[in-house]
Amino acid sequence: MVNHLFGNYLVNAGIITAEQLEQAFELQKKVRVKLGLIAVAEKLMTTEQSEEVNRLQSVMDKRFGDIAVSKGYLTDEQVGRLLGLQGNPYLSFANAITESGYMTLEQFEAAFADYQKSLEFTATDMEAIKSGDSDRIIPLFLPEIDNMQLEHVLMAFRTFIRLIDSDAYIGKGSIAASAKTNGVALQSLDGDKKATLCFAGEGDALLTIANPFAKEEFETVDLDALDAVAEFINCINGMYATRVAPSLNVDMLPPSYKDGVDSIASDAMLMLPIYVKGKEVLLLSKFDGEITL
Amino acid sequence: MAKILIVDDSRTSRKILRGILEQNGHEIIGEAVDGQDGVLKFRELQPEVTTLDITMPIMDGLEALQVIKKDSPDANIVMVTAAGQQNKMIDAIKYGASEFVTKPFETEEILRIINKFNK
Repeated sequence: MVNHLFGNYLVNAGIITAEQLEQAFELQKKVRVKLGLIAVAEKLMTTEQSEEVNRLQSVMDKRFGDIAVSKGYLTDEQVGRLLGLQGNPYLSFANAITESGYMTLEQFEAAFADYQKSLEFTATDMEAIKSGDSDRIIPLFLPEIDNMQLEHVLMAFRTFIRLIDSDAYIGKGSIAASAKTNGVALQSLDGDKKATLCFAGEGDALLTIANPFAKEEFETVDLDALDAVAEFINCINGMYATRVAPSLNVDMLPPSYKDGVDSIASDAMLMLPIYVKGKEVLLLSKFDGEITL
Repeated sequence: MAKILIVDDSRTSRKILRGILEQNGHEIIGEAVDGQDGVLKFRELQPEVTTLDITMPIMDGLEALQVIKKDSPDANIVMVTAAGQQNKMIDAIKYGASEFVTKPFETEEILRIINKFNK
């Protein structure tokens, strides 16, 4: 998610173009992050030392880490830790941007510091963003909500990543009284905790959920497509009910959906935009109240 | 190969389940969209295995299970549940459900369970 959040900042700030960002995403999928870049980003080596090891590597049949250790730039322990960071999403994005020649690592890091200022986030918050862990990132973009509702939203997003699109990312959440949509699917939980989880979206946005979940190619947001969205919500709520089951008895009501609906309302519902395949779907969550069509 | 009746109010779930079962050699002899419809189709089609969603409108899966087991005590009923319906699963065991599968569907889990009735 860090690649999309920070990548959009870079585009909006005019540092790279949208096309360059897309190309960086493509590269990120293909290329393994270089150990030298991680070592410099972690401030264990200088750029010059990294370049020197790279030059030596091109004429020696040895790994970067082995050469760096032999030159005294890194210890075996540090190499082990750097290898563990190779899957890190922030570093992988930095690698894609710098390998593409759009920015140097220094420029990338300076822009990340500016991004932090624009968000007014702490260093700890930025470490959460760098981690790519949605459970740590999402709370940074939400208004204050109770822990049970937060857990519900986090589970919904994790399930979204797992079943719908691993490239999905979030926008800024807010408390809203209404939302525009084209069709809607929702499911309420009853029992010890009353809650409703709903997905909405304008145009054909809800197809970004319906098509991958049902493994179909719906062309319009019709009742069949909304049934698929409702079943996806059913899966999320089932896992949530399991999670809270030791302490709470939560009953799942049948999911429901309706086409032709153009707005939904509540006195105060949590609205979290999720971006997937260039579309915006809205995750709407209401605890201890109702969402009406 | 088993002759199977699928009872689920969700078209999506019926389609996914049908796809998994048919691709692995089973025959879907009917579909029903709620518990009441399921009971009628069960009586008409006499399937070897019936998959029965728990959460359905009009007549839910637990009620349909009781009606079917009263008519046909030897019926093989596989309850389909979203995770998180443990209390209802306990009730389903009391009423004579043979097995459970959970949503989202896992192909291997479904086949492992359905194949038990295929000896």
